[in-house]
Amino acid sequence: MREASGKAAGAGASASASAGAGAGAGATAGRISRRRLLGGVAAALVLGGAGIALVRTRGYALPEGRTLAALTAWQFIVVQHAARRIAAPDRADDASIPSADDLDVAGFVDGWMARMPAAVRRDLGRFLGYVEHVAPLGAGHASRFSRLPAAAQDEVLASVEASSSDLLRAGFDGLKSLVFMGYYRDPRTWGILGYDGPLVNRPRGGWR
Amino acid sequence: MSADGGAGAGAFLRGRDVTGDLTLDVDAVVVGTGAGGSVALRELARAGLSAVALEEGAWSTSRDFDQREDHMLPLLFQEAGGRATEDMAIRVLQGRGVGGSTVHNTNLCKRTPAAILDLWARRHAVSGASAADLAPAFDAIERDLSVSEITAPMRNANNELLRKGCEALGWRGGPLRHNRVGCQQSGFCELGCAYDAKQNALKVMLPQAVAAGARVYSDVEAVRVLHDGARATGVEAIAHDGAGAPRARVTVRARVVVLAASAVGSAALARRSGLPDPSGQLGRGLRLHPGGVVAGRFARAIEGWHGIPQSYECTEHLSFDEGSDRRVWIVPAFAHPIGAAAELPGFGAAHMAAMRTYPNLGVLTAMVHDETSGEVLAGDDGRPVLRYAMTDADRAQLARGLAACARLLLAAGAEHVTIPAIPPRRVSSVAELEALDLSFVRPHAVPLTAVHPMGTMRMGDDPKTSVVSSTGEHHQVKGLFVSDGSLFPTSLGAPPQISIYAFALHLAPHVVARARG
Repeated sequence: MREASGKAAGAGASASASAGAGAGAGATAGRISRRRLLGGVAAALVLGGAGIALVRTRGYALPEGRTLAALTAWQFIVVQHAARRIAAPDRADDASIPSADDLDVAGFVDGWMARMPAAVRRDLGRFLGYVEHVAPLGAGHASRFSRLPAAAQDEVLASVEASSSDLLRAGFDGLKSLVFMGYYRDPRTWGILGYDGPLVNRPRGGWR
Repeated sequence: MSADGGAGAGAFLRGRDVTGDLTLDVDAVVVGTGAGGSVALRELARAGLSAVALEEGAWSTSRDFDQREDHMLPLLFQEAGGRATEDMAIRVLQGRGVGGSTVHNTNLCKRTPAAILDLWARRHAVSGASAADLAPAFDAIERDLSVSEITAPMRNANNELLRKGCEALGWRGGPLRHNRVGCQQSGFCELGCAYDAKQNALKVMLPQAVAAGARVYSDVEAVRVLHDGARATGVEAIAHDGAGAPRARVTVRARVVVLAASAVGSAALARRSGLPDPSGQLGRGLRLHPGGVVAGRFARAIEGWHGIPQSYECTEHLSFDEGSDRRVWIVPAFAHPIGAAAELPGFGAAHMAAMRTYPNLGVLTAMVHDETSGEVLAGDDGRPVLRYAMTDADRAQLARGLAACARLLLAAGAEHVTIPAIPPRRVSSVAELEALDLSFVRPHAVPLTAVHPMGTMRMGDDPKTSVVSSTGEHHQVKGLFVSDGSLFPTSLGAPPQISIYAFALHLAPHVVARARG
């Protein structure tokens, strides 16, 4: 097997990270943080279609009776579509496996994000904007993500997951984690995995 | 409202119950209630001094730990388990709440390697901290926490795979020691122990501190260390309502301030407080022990979520010699469904098909005894920023470790092993593994997790190269001590909890002496 190598570059990066005279509380003030820089890149990517995004936040209809705690209507719709694909059930030998909609995964994500700091909500919003308006173009589709057929949505998500941008891949991982938390938190999914679930509060007949 | 924290008035108190701004006059204030903070607090109280601890998270007990990931992540982890390095390449799991990371850790108890202590003395001017110097503290802590070896009958199937792999390959390995008594072997350790079997800060140290007269305030976030540039004078804090909304201002006036909020939290607080930093070392030197996982699929059920999670280790690729190119520590690592789903590559029906093999998976993790030097900054939004760019040398160690995990799983009988990546790398034989180009192994390409932040306010007698002295006291600001993993000048190459407890106890006499004035 061949292992990654190149100690010289690594040592350089380490030395560079350790050097400098940023002192005390002022250390953040005079430097452009990488987080901000990456955030800027994300914003540029997402807002490459800024005009589009601004216009296209209209026309997203929430399901009747749905109220939101953190996401906007368009963000909720994008999460709902993404969750359907990310947590698409493997129904090859069991047609009863619940879908993301059955478990209201998008509703869970909305509730979860309500407890997150504003900066995290903002970052998720930017990423969802990228998925909805920019990523489809890169995957050869001239339509919003949320209006694409399922197979095309899979193509778009796969392109983001395998993006050459570390930031976009990290964004995908974040969204995927949220969706799977919303899905696999539900005891109705545990039997699919052969997982018997928590011992605490376990119902007499087991979790279902 | 103003109050003193006189000895004999011990209690667990909640910031959410504070009805108005609060000022406390005490001998010492401790920020953080994990391994280091709990010991410092206890020793101060036992010395008859008035001491309070401030904890930003909640005070929970075993009754609150319901073994559900979606409930416990927000309760027990910083940023609900979402904390990561600035570039989002490495997830950093850290405790939040009374007891800190000792509430969710897997109870591993390994002393600081003697070779590491020797390195600190030779290269980092750390004095009075040889293995012999620290032995009494380790002995005492191990008694307090009832540390004992996890014997073969208590080893679960996933750990047995590691033992079997080590023995088949002739690799060095052995059982681990833990701080648990009355363990039910439920396998939910990382979500808090519902059975009170963990002998940790929450169950042992903090109740002892309170019994000796200390006060522990939960829901109270320290926002600034008060000082005049030469002496610490207290801490400014905010009491929250339990949901994160500010409720009251808390001011603690004290002769001694002990930072014990972790290598991330302490450094971020110190930077926000404008402490003098002539060496420029404050916040620098962050080590993480970053780790990746490898999963093996077995013909028989492993059900790795049952039983004690980490009771066996492989140290074949771990050396503490200076400049060693063997810097990988291997232990089992099994996640509950939400964590497993996040780690498995891909999505959709194919992902679920892979998840349906969950009971048949054996999973190992390779952690790097890292040389990468990262940094903790105070973020604009109040959250700490962890800057960590893994060196190529550490990337090579990570690749070596993942390959070693794959070898172990194959040797233990796996039908095939998978290194999570996009695309996933799957091999079914040693020959295939040896043909695999591992240059893809790097942050962002494989999921990485870190649970051992260290460094950032490192100790040493030379103020030009360290932030605090070998007594743990800040070089410039007298009365300001550090009592957590921030102290360590390098990576430990071992789980840090028992080292943090022991250093806190070892250095406590200096803290007590300063608090006595």
